[in-house]
Amino acid sequence: MSIWKHLFSLEERRNWWTRKMPACPLRDFYEVPFPDRDLEWRQVDYLALDFETTGLQAGSDQLLSVGYATVRGDSLLLRDATHILIRPTIDIPEASAVVHGILDDRAAEARSLEVILPQILQALSGKVLLAHHAAIEYEFIDHACRNLYGYPFVCPVVDTLALEVRQFRLRDQAIRSGDLRLANARRRYGLPRYPAHNALTDALSAAELFLAQTAYRSTRRALRLKDLVVVS
Amino acid sequence: MEIELIEIRDFLAAHHPFDQLPDEALDQLPGKLQVRYFRRQASIPESGSIDDHLYLVRSGAVEIKNPQGELLARLGEGDLFGYRASHMEGHAEFTGSALEDSLLYLLQPLEVDALCHAHSQFAYFFEPAGGDRLRDAISHAGEDGSAQLGLMATQIGDMISRAPITMPPEASIRDTAEVMTRERVSSILITEGNHLTGIVTDRDLRRRVVAKGLDTNQRIDSIMTAAPYTLDAADYAFDAMLHMARSNIHHLPILRNGEVAGMLTATDFAQRHTTSAVYLVSSIYKQDEVSGLAAISAKLPQLLLNLAAADATANSIGHVITAVVDSITVRLLQLAEEKLGPPPVPYAWVAAGSQARSEQTAKSDQDNCMVLDDRYDPELHGDYFKTLSRFVCDGLNACGYIYCPGEMMAMTDKWRQPMGTWKKYFSEWIDQPEPMALMLTCVFFDLRCIYGERELFLEIREHLLNKTRGNQIFLAYMVGNALKNKPPLGFFRNFVLISGGEHDHTLDLKHSGIVPIVDLARVYALAAGSQSINTQDRLKEVAAGGEVSSGGAHDLRDALEFVSFLRIRHQARQIRQGTAPDNFMPPDDLSHFERSHLKDAFSVVRTMQNVLSQRYLR
Repeated sequence: MSIWKHLFSLEERRNWWTRKMPACPLRDFYEVPFPDRDLEWRQVDYLALDFETTGLQAGSDQLLSVGYATVRGDSLLLRDATHILIRPTIDIPEASAVVHGILDDRAAEARSLEVILPQILQALSGKVLLAHHAAIEYEFIDHACRNLYGYPFVCPVVDTLALEVRQFRLRDQAIRSGDLRLANARRRYGLPRYPAHNALTDALSAAELFLAQTAYRSTRRALRLKDLVVVS
Repeated sequence: MEIELIEIRDFLAAHHPFDQLPDEALDQLPGKLQVRYFRRQASIPESGSIDDHLYLVRSGAVEIKNPQGELLARLGEGDLFGYRASHMEGHAEFTGSALEDSLLYLLQPLEVDALCHAHSQFAYFFEPAGGDRLRDAISHAGEDGSAQLGLMATQIGDMISRAPITMPPEASIRDTAEVMTRERVSSILITEGNHLTGIVTDRDLRRRVVAKGLDTNQRIDSIMTAAPYTLDAADYAFDAMLHMARSNIHHLPILRNGEVAGMLTATDFAQRHTTSAVYLVSSIYKQDEVSGLAAISAKLPQLLLNLAAADATANSIGHVITAVVDSITVRLLQLAEEKLGPPPVPYAWVAAGSQARSEQTAKSDQDNCMVLDDRYDPELHGDYFKTLSRFVCDGLNACGYIYCPGEMMAMTDKWRQPMGTWKKYFSEWIDQPEPMALMLTCVFFDLRCIYGERELFLEIREHLLNKTRGNQIFLAYMVGNALKNKPPLGFFRNFVLISGGEHDHTLDLKHSGIVPIVDLARVYALAAGSQSINTQDRLKEVAAGGEVSSGGAHDLRDALEFVSFLRIRHQARQIRQGTAPDNFMPPDDLSHFERSHLKDAFSVVRTMQNVLSQRYLR
């Protein structure tokens, strides 16, 4: 990411791109203001989102599926929970197929990222992106936007992994290997075990973890969005 | 629905009442849920009392309390609360709090309304008092479907296929025989108008006419069996079966409103005759040794299994199983009289407790007593009755009906007394009630004459009911007694939750389910002076009399049937596994469906206990 990030606020950059960009789904996304950072966290909508990919490199790896659902206030709404398969442009490497169970023939029936990305951006507009280890999701969307529309993606982000790191630091606790994994973090909050590696299940898992984390944040003073976001 | 919500769908499908929904409705449901997280000790919802959302515990644990802070329920994974909370008992404002970190699914009240509207099975779950839900559970649990068990539910009137064949008393023997031949019947009723005077069978013609070379021009009434035993068309086929087996007769005249309605013959049962209960009972009367009776009673567990497998109602199973111990008792008394000679003064052998109520399941203790004619003289007759009662009680013990630990048995001198003494006993118990004494003797407020001089028993019963009817002081003591056994609050995970938050590892179906209802029904019956003994009968009768609301009585009957049904199923399982049947059910053995209906049954009992306590103990 560039130096601009440090000089201009997220909202300023959103305005900048809105003025600069030709009509495209990304500009539609930028047309809607980001949630106000000073709002109490419950007054904000979040889109819990997860991708299954062929690997971790946004530059070279491909998206295979996306799952997302809205968190409104302190509720996870399953109403618009969505899971979409994305057609990759290369064969699915065997190593990743073992993890996510998405095979070539099934992926072949899926639609292309070109069709799906606008849907994702629309779901995300006006909301905060919520994910566990959100950098991956953020970078894949950014990469896709640059490829398809020629412009970068910016968005407020809440990362449950980062929140978990803060919890450990607040308690002055050493983080051991594996502690920050979604399933292990969930266990600390008494959340049930889900079968992993489905984009929607992982998105819901992260959303529930977020509800648990906020429930456990000390509430002496109002918790604001800016206390939670990582990218701003 | 997104197929990936399948995990949530499966969770819903595994829990009652969502398991009642068809697949399409289940597929739609996850998308209608909201997910909320409550940390330990957080109140649910944040804003005070529980609202009308339907809450489903996905993980964690929740406690529900009333405004007085009393624990009402402790809920674990798969349990529900909320929806129509404001309609629940007492219209109280209940509060919830997370006992552990909890993940909850919420469903909008409008969505639940819509589901209830579209799916009646699902709607039953949310019926306010639980009565309808229990009824549903019972019909779910099984009906008397099999032809064999039909005997218990079939009225004799429905079994009589043809109009009675009758002859006037003045007809000749020959004419009668001709009619019997023409009509192809093996027996004929002798009537004057519609009044039954006697019966003639093929066997009578053989033994009383042909073998003796009698003139067949004689009147038929000279050889008929006069004033035969009859049953009413409204009586149950099973009673007829028992009577025919007991008396070794094959033809039974049936009356309807005192007029001849038809003839029931052994062949009428032929198709249905395979019922093992009937075989068992008829073979009891062929035994001449206690050991033979013991061998038959050893088949009782198998009988219970058959009845349970045939989906008989718990109440009818109680009647059948009790009919077996009744028959064993009668046979023992017959054998004793054969050995000792006829009784010097009339007596009545009276069953008490569960045998009196016809509510036995797997084998239980024996509770019985003897009422002797007031001409009884201990000097002259003492030995006879002591020996007789000893023989019968020993015999019952040998058959597995073990000696009553409290010695409430006819072989105990105190419980083998002339009528005058019995009246004095009851007068004392009723006029000067003592809690301790009542607890021990309440078994004697359920009495049924098994054998002997019925009049003796009837007089005692009349005496005691006259004393108890409307007797507020005595009834208050009985109520105190009836409230000793409280049903549990419900279940929490694999425990039984008792009030105050304590846990039990097993559910005592007898003391926390059945006994409280039996005790309530006894109070109602004594208050109303009702002659019924069976708890279902008592509740049916007192409901009509206004001693308890008819809705309340109905709910109690359903609750009793449901808990009894579970007990029978539990005991049947133990018998299959080769273990001794008991009353202790681990909550693990209960399905979600059964748990939620048990909770209903408990809540019905609690409500009725409270009503009674308010009426008598204030």
